[in-house]
Amino acid sequence: MLIAALRDLQWRKRRFVIAIVGTGLVFAMTLVLTGLANGFGVEANRTVDALGLQSYLVKSGAPGPFLGSSPFPPTEVQQVSRLPGVQVAVPLVYGSATMPDRGSARNVNVFGAPERGPGMPVLSSGRPPAAPDEVAVSSTMRRAVGDRIEIGSRTLNIVGIVHDSTALAGQPNIFLTVAGAQQLLFSGQQLISSIGVRGVPAQPPNGYRVVDRAGAVEDLSRALNGARQAMTLMAGLLWVVAALIVGSMIYVSALERTRDFAVFKAVGVPTRSILGGLAMQAVIVALLAALLGAVLSVLLGPLFPMRVDIPRLAFVSLPVLAVAIGLLASVAGLRRAVTVDPALAFGGP
Amino acid sequence: MADLRIKDLVVEYSKGEYRVRPIDGLSLDVSEGSLAILLGPSGCGKTTLLSCLGGILSPSAGRIEFGDIDLTKLDERELSHYRRTTVGIVFQAFNLVSSLTALENVMVPLRAARVPRREARKRAEELLDRVGLAHRMGHRPGDLSGGQQQRVAVARAIALDPPLILADEPTAHLDYIQVEEVLRLIRELASGERVVVVATHDSRMLPLADRVVELMPHIAYTEHEPDTVELQAGETLFEQGTMGDCIYVVSEGELEIARELASGGEEVLKVAGPGDYFGEMGPVFGLPRSATVRALTAATVVGYTVQAFREKLGATGSREIVEHRPLSGEPDPSPEPD
Repeated sequence: MLIAALRDLQWRKRRFVIAIVGTGLVFAMTLVLTGLANGFGVEANRTVDALGLQSYLVKSGAPGPFLGSSPFPPTEVQQVSRLPGVQVAVPLVYGSATMPDRGSARNVNVFGAPERGPGMPVLSSGRPPAAPDEVAVSSTMRRAVGDRIEIGSRTLNIVGIVHDSTALAGQPNIFLTVAGAQQLLFSGQQLISSIGVRGVPAQPPNGYRVVDRAGAVEDLSRALNGARQAMTLMAGLLWVVAALIVGSMIYVSALERTRDFAVFKAVGVPTRSILGGLAMQAVIVALLAALLGAVLSVLLGPLFPMRVDIPRLAFVSLPVLAVAIGLLASVAGLRRAVTVDPALAFGGP
Repeated sequence: MADLRIKDLVVEYSKGEYRVRPIDGLSLDVSEGSLAILLGPSGCGKTTLLSCLGGILSPSAGRIEFGDIDLTKLDERELSHYRRTTVGIVFQAFNLVSSLTALENVMVPLRAARVPRREARKRAEELLDRVGLAHRMGHRPGDLSGGQQQRVAVARAIALDPPLILADEPTAHLDYIQVEEVLRLIRELASGERVVVVATHDSRMLPLADRVVELMPHIAYTEHEPDTVELQAGETLFEQGTMGDCIYVVSEGELEIARELASGGEEVLKVAGPGDYFGEMGPVFGLPRSATVRALTAATVVGYTVQAFREKLGATGSREIVEHRPLSGEPDPSPEPD
């Protein structure tokens, strides 16, 4: 009875289209939320990878080299560079600063690293900062080499651009020399946040501990863990909303087609064929909604002020999940169809 | 040979809290190639009987045999197969699927029987051509007249050339021109080895029939003198579901008026004493008794025909009886069951 199910889709097309658009929007929101939550991790990974370091030494008790760092004097850098397993060790400074931006304030992530050492990312244009008043900024700030920016109480000259470098939900990263970052963040005090290392020290000096790349990424995105959990929860709720839309539509359809089902049964159509038709409607609606949701999410993603990085796996698994949810949601409708008494077909109009 | 044989059929089901027995001990034989009409007013069990013949409703007792098939012994899967291959049903109000075209509606039973799509389509086209609807195949039911819809329903019913056709009120909802088309078509169906059973209260169809079965026989009411009945305690005056022509007035003793419950027991509706009367609705409207009356003590009742009771009540019509006006002439706030 698949033809009957298809014809019913055509017959009630307005309702099905509304359901598809509604469910598609919900799926799009689910994908965007997934992309936002994933974006937090992606930008943290990209930022850490751009520094070109394998591990970090932080003071014992400090959770990590970035948000969890505890500043300390750079007296141990030379000693660390001579430790077994260490190829290069550099002082790193990290902190947060605020800059005026079109009448309001904007947070930026400040990184301080040696001009030519590891810790300074590859630039898409310009050159690395060499003096304390020079800075390389993320392309997301839409500034050009030669521009000047005010950060805190200092005015810096932009000498380089780093492509699409953000952290902490779209906040741009800026890169200075170690001295420049110390002037900006620590009022010129000779303090650093961590010692960046190429290689892995066999034994850190007393009072220090080693943080690997994964620990650094975790540290850089820790502030967003709550937001990520909230988004994951929201995405889960949206799956339920999608299921309710599909399920209620299939249930209403089953209610309205009670007489048709009774007639089908009375003329000998097996119940499984009726169920197959109803389930097919749910699958078609769910799949079309998934397709629409995927397209909408791609269109809507760039409108968000944060990085929306929808994993490819989400696009692949969406139709599979959509079909599963469509079938699950249509259980009530299917149960209704099973219980229809063919004797109803004998009733009057 | 595919004769239809029904023996001692009883159908009983619950309706609300009460137990209803629309068919009680029906026996009937219809030979192949004939058209039987089940005649009777609404509620007499016509559709219930068709549901049983169609393998949709299981009777409470008795047997239904069609050819060598004993319907009462088929399980759910066999009944579904029976409905698919042996029975064609023309429903009241056509019951076409509104989202399907006429052609697709006729294809439904063919596809259900796993006839290949192309073959099913060809067969459906032939059938619609046969019922004069070759030019309306692509139309949906909403675009067809009542007569055309009924012809599509007939084409659907005979799609698999079943030996038994059941039609439920096939002329309801049709004007007289459409009735003519459908009557001719139904008569044509009852040919060869096919049995056609039509349920209707439309007496215009009677000339078509080879066999007429009145499911609620008319009682030939004859006027007679009031009939005094003496009852012993526990003795039944009449039973629920039976027909009767008398309205009873209690002279002495007490009688209980009880209705069967779905749960199996009885609900006592009222205890009638001297001066009370009961059992008026059945004789006035030609309906079966809706309750059982039995004596609680030794009792004497007098049975009156409707006309005689009307005179006793001093009524000019049936309204006073239906309203259960007391014999004293005062309105009674608690009307009796018949």
